[in-house]
Amino acid sequence: MYLILMHAVEFENVSKSFSEKNILENISFSVRQGEIFGLLGPNGAGKTTLIRLLLDILRPDSGEIRVFGDFLSPTTKNRIGYLPEERGLYKKTRLLDMLVYLAQLKGMPENQARLNAESLLKSLELDQYKNKKVEELSKGMQQKIQFLSAIIHEPELLILDEPFSGLDPVNTKTVMVRILGLRASGKTIILSTHMMEQAQTLCDRILMLNKGRRVLYGPVDEIRKEHGKNSLIVEFAEKGNLNAIREISGIKKIIERGKSVELFPEEGISVQFLLEELVRKANLTRFEKTFPSLNEIFIETLESVSNE
Amino acid sequence: MNSFPEKTFIVARHEFTKTIKRKEFLFMTFFFPLLFVGISILPAMLSGMNPAEDQKVGYIDLTGSFEFPKSIQNEGLSIGSSETKTSVIEFVMYREISDAKQALQAGQISSYLVIPEDFLKTGTIELYSPEKETSMSNFELSSELSDIVITSLLEDKVDESTLNRVRNPVNIKFYNIGKSGESSERGIADIFASFGLPILTAFLLLFSIFSSSGFLLRGVAEEKENRIIEILLSSVTPTEILTGKILGLGAVGLLQIGIWLAAVVFGSGYALPVKIEPYTLLFALIYFVLGFLFFASMMAGIGAVTGSLQESQQVAGIFTFAAALPLIFMQLILTNPGSPFSVFLSLFPLTSPIAMLTRMGVTAVPIFQILVSIFILLISVYVVILLSGRLFRTYLLMYGKRPKVKEIWKNIRTESR
Repeated sequence: MYLILMHAVEFENVSKSFSEKNILENISFSVRQGEIFGLLGPNGAGKTTLIRLLLDILRPDSGEIRVFGDFLSPTTKNRIGYLPEERGLYKKTRLLDMLVYLAQLKGMPENQARLNAESLLKSLELDQYKNKKVEELSKGMQQKIQFLSAIIHEPELLILDEPFSGLDPVNTKTVMVRILGLRASGKTIILSTHMMEQAQTLCDRILMLNKGRRVLYGPVDEIRKEHGKNSLIVEFAEKGNLNAIREISGIKKIIERGKSVELFPEEGISVQFLLEELVRKANLTRFEKTFPSLNEIFIETLESVSNE
Repeated sequence: MNSFPEKTFIVARHEFTKTIKRKEFLFMTFFFPLLFVGISILPAMLSGMNPAEDQKVGYIDLTGSFEFPKSIQNEGLSIGSSETKTSVIEFVMYREISDAKQALQAGQISSYLVIPEDFLKTGTIELYSPEKETSMSNFELSSELSDIVITSLLEDKVDESTLNRVRNPVNIKFYNIGKSGESSERGIADIFASFGLPILTAFLLLFSIFSSSGFLLRGVAEEKENRIIEILLSSVTPTEILTGKILGLGAVGLLQIGIWLAAVVFGSGYALPVKIEPYTLLFALIYFVLGFLFFASMMAGIGAVTGSLQESQQVAGIFTFAAALPLIFMQLILTNPGSPFSVFLSLFPLTSPIAMLTRMGVTAVPIFQILVSIFILLISVYVVILLSGRLFRTYLLMYGKRPKVKEIWKNIRTESR
């Protein structure tokens, strides 16, 4: 049977505790093949534990985990690339040797590993350093190497834990471009991060954890729509127009934000109606339905959870 | 797919090649044989430094009762070949001390002796030589003088064979009596082979076990400290890492032992002709493998539990000290190999490899004791591998403070992963 929509990762009611402390409680979600999936949550939410379960470093107390439809095994490990949050490289080993070794541990034959390492180093213009020891490289280079070590064995699923932490803007862009390139070539990427801006830009869908529980899950666009405050951003050609719109019925509140104005319609008032009214009363230069940023949703959700 | 042995092999090969390139390994491996060769050859070199130098020695006999030969042959030790280098000491008689002094200053003689009138009472002979003269030839001279004195004093009073006995009183030959009563002569080389070599092997074993299990400890602690362990664990299981490391570093240890034994055979064959018994080698090999497995897996467990390289070395030091006990009590084991304490050390797994090989060097250890010792070591190896494996799986990813002993014990029993 040919499965068109196979999931890259499936978690079903997975729980994990350490010395009677629940780290993950009954977590279910799935990651689709070829998407960038955001794993979000504050420190201590259980993201790292979830990743370690997925890598078969830890075993769940209950529940099922599948990768590309299979239960975890040494073979599934070989199909996953991993960039841990705590970065680590063999400092005293030659760059090329280290990359080849790490690829071999992922089941790649030595010759292939060597070819891949050489071509990846070339693509990042690092090939002149291949015989240098890792400790001799600059911090920026080491970060690039760390990223290479996660993708050298051509994994189908890539887990990136805080891939942008400590990167300067140039390297951040390089890594972002690479991540998008990997998705374009059909790879699945799980991105665990605190950086909501990047998550919002890159992720197709997200899972947000808090204290081991699932608090948000779904496509980024839908989540933003669901959490919409139902407000509009409007700008006028002339300042005097502001008084004119105060006369429009159906607007609950108006907040001036410098050049622009944020309008909050009353319940049951459609965007269409407001637009028509505004066009009649003022000379509009901007009219925009707003969505909260992922960051705002993140903070709002955490606050509402902690108030419960 | 069974990728288990393959990944273990990759880890083992990586550990092997990484370690043999380490400066510490190269130093340990090649410095030791040099030291050994140095110790065995240096005395020979020193004594044979200037044997071939002929010299003329003047003498003034104030007692008037000595008969010096015109010249004597002096045999010096030489290195390597059995070719003996000899020098000639020629004696020149002077009537007056002033004549001898003049001859010395003129360089006609290299030194002169004065035999005082009261020589028979005091036994003192005075030797005069120029300033900055090397004292080596004087040492040779003094041993020759004893012979000359004995000969002069006794020559006409005792017969030839008594004279020879006085000159060279004892000449010991060593015999071993076998079970059936036959006796066989033992040369110095045999004594060294049965006594010195097992002890030497025991020492080498100890150093090799310590250095290779030390590399293992360092490797694990470093991988944990620099966090690459997380990447490794995303690729291989803790058991694969542990097995690979033990195999790789075990091979390093064997290589090291091989180089050292080769150096011993070469070095001793050069200075003293000895052969290593296959029997000794066999037990050395068994004790090395078991001893290494024991210490290496223990070090792996320690490396996994502790938070940093420094901390791990402190904890490991406690066990290393225990293992070095046979060295501290070496004297006791050598002089009293059958004492209860020596037997205990040769059965207790931390100390048995070294203590047993040492005992085997000095006495015939009952075979059942050897077997019991190996059996205890085997069981201990099994238990330590089991425990360390659990610690390895539980603690590799726990950074920060070292857990308390009670906590470790609880985790060993319940093992959560």
